Amino acid sequence: METDRPSLRDLRAGLSLLWQLVRRYRGVAALSIVGAIIWMATVVAIPTIVGMVVDVAANGDERSELVPLFFWLLAAGGVQAVGISVRQYFGFKLSYRAEADVRNRIFTHVQRLAFSFHDVTSTGELMARASSDLSQLRMILAMLPITIANIAMFLVVTLALVIIDPVLGSVAALMIPAMFFTSTRFANRVVGYSFDIQQRLSELSHVVEESVTGIEVVKSYGQEPQQQNKLELKAMSIYRSAMGLAKERAIHRPLFEIIPALGTVAVLAVGGIRVVDGSITIGEFVAFTQYIAVLVLPLMITGWFFANLPRAAASATRIDDLLSTAPEIAEPDKPVRLRAGRGEIRFEDVSFAYPDGTAVLDGVNLVVPGGTSVGVVGATGAGKTTIGHLIPRFYDTTTGRVTIDGVDVRDVSLDELRSEVSVVFQETFLFSASIADNIRLGDGMATDEQVRAAARLAKAHDFICETPDGYDTVVGERGTTLSGGQRQRVSLARGVVRDPRVLILDDATSSVDAIVESEIQAALQQVMAGRTTVIIAHRTSTLALVDNVAFVEDGKVVAFGPHNELLKTTPRYVEVLDAGRLEVGT
Amino acid sequence: MKYMSSAGDYKVDRPGSLIVRAARIAPELKWPFVGTIGIAILATLVRLLGPLIVKGGIDNGISKGDKGAIYVASGLFVAALVVQYVTTAMSQWSVAHVGERYLVKLRSVVFGRLLRLDMGFFTRSKSGVLVSRMTSDIESLQEFASDGAVLALSNFLTVIGVAIALGFVDWHMALAVFVVIAVLMFVSAIFQRQARRAYDLVRERIGSVLAALQEGISGVRVVQAFTQEEPQASTFGRVNESHFEANMASARAISWYFPVVSFLRIGAIAAALGIGVIRVMDGSMSMGTLVAFLLYLDWFFQPIINLSNVYNLLQSALAALAKLYELVDKPTVIQDRDGAYDLATPVVGSLEVQGMSFEYLSGVPTLTDVSISVAPGQRVAIVGETGSGKSTIAKLIMRFYDPTEGSIRIDGHDLTDLTGQSRIESVALIPQDGFLFSGTLRDNLVYADPGASDDQVWRVLETMGIDSWIRSLPEGLDTQVRERGSRFSSGERQLVALARAFLADPAVIVLDEATSNLDPETEVNVETALKILLEGRTSVVIAHRLRSAERADRVFMIADGQVIAEGTHKELAESSPPYRELVDAWKVGLA
Repeated sequence: METDRPSLRDLRAGLSLLWQLVRRYRGVAALSIVGAIIWMATVVAIPTIVGMVVDVAANGDERSELVPLFFWLLAAGGVQAVGISVRQYFGFKLSYRAEADVRNRIFTHVQRLAFSFHDVTSTGELMARASSDLSQLRMILAMLPITIANIAMFLVVTLALVIIDPVLGSVAALMIPAMFFTSTRFANRVVGYSFDIQQRLSELSHVVEESVTGIEVVKSYGQEPQQQNKLELKAMSIYRSAMGLAKERAIHRPLFEIIPALGTVAVLAVGGIRVVDGSITIGEFVAFTQYIAVLVLPLMITGWFFANLPRAAASATRIDDLLSTAPEIAEPDKPVRLRAGRGEIRFEDVSFAYPDGTAVLDGVNLVVPGGTSVGVVGATGAGKTTIGHLIPRFYDTTTGRVTIDGVDVRDVSLDELRSEVSVVFQETFLFSASIADNIRLGDGMATDEQVRAAARLAKAHDFICETPDGYDTVVGERGTTLSGGQRQRVSLARGVVRDPRVLILDDATSSVDAIVESEIQAALQQVMAGRTTVIIAHRTSTLALVDNVAFVEDGKVVAFGPHNELLKTTPRYVEVLDAGRLEVGT
Repeated sequence: MKYMSSAGDYKVDRPGSLIVRAARIAPELKWPFVGTIGIAILATLVRLLGPLIVKGGIDNGISKGDKGAIYVASGLFVAALVVQYVTTAMSQWSVAHVGERYLVKLRSVVFGRLLRLDMGFFTRSKSGVLVSRMTSDIESLQEFASDGAVLALSNFLTVIGVAIALGFVDWHMALAVFVVIAVLMFVSAIFQRQARRAYDLVRERIGSVLAALQEGISGVRVVQAFTQEEPQASTFGRVNESHFEANMASARAISWYFPVVSFLRIGAIAAALGIGVIRVMDGSMSMGTLVAFLLYLDWFFQPIINLSNVYNLLQSALAALAKLYELVDKPTVIQDRDGAYDLATPVVGSLEVQGMSFEYLSGVPTLTDVSISVAPGQRVAIVGETGSGKSTIAKLIMRFYDPTEGSIRIDGHDLTDLTGQSRIESVALIPQDGFLFSGTLRDNLVYADPGASDDQVWRVLETMGIDSWIRSLPEGLDTQVRERGSRFSSGERQLVALARAFLADPAVIVLDEATSNLDPETEVNVETALKILLEGRTSVVIAHRLRSAERADRVFMIADGQVIAEGTHKELAESSPPYRELVDAWKVGLA
């Protein structure tokens, strides 16, 4: 059940991230450690005071001698409380501050990483960095001050015990490694099982989810018992993991009582004899029993800390890896402004290959006159979408260059470039916000009137008015559900709200029914009028809307001209259209 | 008794009867449960012996200078510890065993009940809520079962045992300690309330943080396309900061409570010690008694703190249980009525919808007086705009709902008079997206008839002309279907759904046609397979395309829940203007 143990070298980056966080919040960390040390001092002092009280009683001394001792006992209790409070508050502050800080850094950084990074990294993986990996980091930071104080305490207590009585002290101190070893071992095993249980719980929830979403099929074929069996199998596998965990708990947890109790037995046997022999007092004997009791919890915590440290360091290493990934699309050192123009786009000998070396485009030459539209046509995998994505620099060309009105896109600041080039993606993505805010994403400054105008242009205004709160209706994952066609029109409005010089459309009509499709096409026609538009065509019907077609094959533009002309001059074009090997969805 | 739990502001009425009901689902666990309690009591008793043995050692050995008595006491102590270890380990294991066994049963019972609820229930409830009943609610029970119950039982017994032991050892000192304990309980109650509020807030805020994170990551391309990195980051920063603040509120609660507890603990030691020492000096108490008392005292505080934590777990568990039983107690309308009978086989497949009206919400008619009759083996297409009610007709034929008025007859028998099993065997639904379950392709194909042999499956696949596709997959029928078939195209999923229906071999098929376009090659395969499937069967197709309407024997056009035109495609295209409009829209799409 052991999770793979990374080597210390791999963990160095993670440990240094942890160290960097402690240094960054050193004031808070220092306060917490000071609190922990104060707490530690009183923990060590109290059993000694108790021992002294007992000695007063055993020796039959004056009662008045007890008064100062009780004063010190209560004073130590008060100081201890203050120490705990300071230790806890600032320890939490350190860990929560660091967590919030790193989470912000992860989010901001991920937002800046280029498409090429997101192409190969799943959302789940990034979520794990910012949630479970980060919690590991937080927990270890929260435990750091108390662990430092605990280690100091073990040394001080061992020293104190050995000074009081070398033989008895050594015997009692044996408990420290025994407890430490047991709790480290226990924490290690528990983590493995907990991970396992989480895994199986998510499998079970998958069965529930598919049964609920597929309930029509379940009921249609009367397969309720079959689904129930599936669930029961998963429940049984949870049972087995949970019992594995229960077994480890049953084996180890009682030891946390037994080991200190064995310490007490040792004190009784060895210490008792020495009291009889007169080499220690009964008060010292009592102090020993008390020391054993106070060490139990710190020992468990310290064991937990060291069991979890490698895992936390591994998490920190993964976070550090992410944060040190450089964004591939860099801002130009000396940005130039785009010249005035109608948005003429030129591809000059453009080649593009993925980082793994897969060539997609190989010497594309293309001129889209300003204010005209071009449909990009090609078989699946021909690189149509890539052509669209090179213009706003979602990717950079491997060789060659792309210009807008004569200026290389790599020389323009990303802010300016992307405000002049709008993209409507094939996969529409709406944020959990009002429809107006979703449209305004295209232009933060847009007035309500401009938002409405864009929606009208995209033929979205009418249905927006029919939603419960009109433009204020919240959509996205946590809001009202819009149909596919409606989402596409909202994202179209988002694309045109800032009246961009260049519009890039990844034709998104492939997943809607015919009626909706005809509405979207009407919208497209409106937004394309007089604007430089590059439309990645997935359906033949789109081609009726564009001025020219660029036919892409083998990474090159092999034909360019009006659709009707290409039909006559380029047999291969006809062949591709007929074979219907147009990409459908992706 | 009215019991209020603050877990998620959820009120649990009559927790006693709830627990009794919940216990009844697993009668086989009764004796293991009793045994577990027995062992736990034994373990606690043995544990309480320790300080008494120390007392004996001190009073009979150390105080009297008798080394032999010290050795005897130490030996006894070790023996007691061995017994303590074994019994404690056993009791911890068996508490978990009973709890986890119970959860298996509970999961199965609740899920079985959930699956059998009316379709209307699924339509009304958000699927997320239903899933969370089975997951997070049962998980909070799991938390209780795997850890809470052990802690609750052992700590409860320890507190009771130690209280009795303290009183037994010396009631003067015990009284002083109980005063401190009363203060501790009061303080703990205040803390628990504060902490629960704080943690509820933390949970809520972490939910927002994760949602914002998820959205920011999955929408990153849009964010970059519109250079919204900075506004996004600052929005996220705010959400993140509010989570930090909620965390700090919980930190503040913890930072006063534990110091107070710690001080109370010292206070209790001081009180016990003060009284004890004076009594030892009076000679009215032995030194051994004082030491034993101090040892017991160390076992008193942690269990009380633990118990107050467990109390939270227990409340959440009860609230979860109450929510689960709310689900279990939902009445079902669609079920076999008294005297329901089986349809005579072989089913011929005549389908008669007569004067059917239906409303999801009372007073808001979805369908009004719909009559559709389909002769055995005939194909009928139902067309209409989105929201016209055509999918509802499909659901009524499946008896996912019962009509408000009118009837649906198969071979002349009203669906509501027939057994559910008859409907299952005679009518099958093929949903829009050709839903696939996790498991292998084989599992999905034989879904209706898990006993079907591979030979049968291959014969069907060959008949439908899709065997070559499946043979081309490296793992053939054993290919794993992951995440609802995301590795297959929409057309491929439909092919599987068609073959699945063929294996079920129903007399009537209800097909909700997919809206998305397929690539032409798959489209041809789907068309062929569909033709073979529908051959000789009665079928109702909820049509979204021209071609489907053209191929139907009869077309029914629905608008606003009513049949506004019926006839063959040709007839309607000539006679019905709304139908012509629809056809024109379809044609534009095909341009």
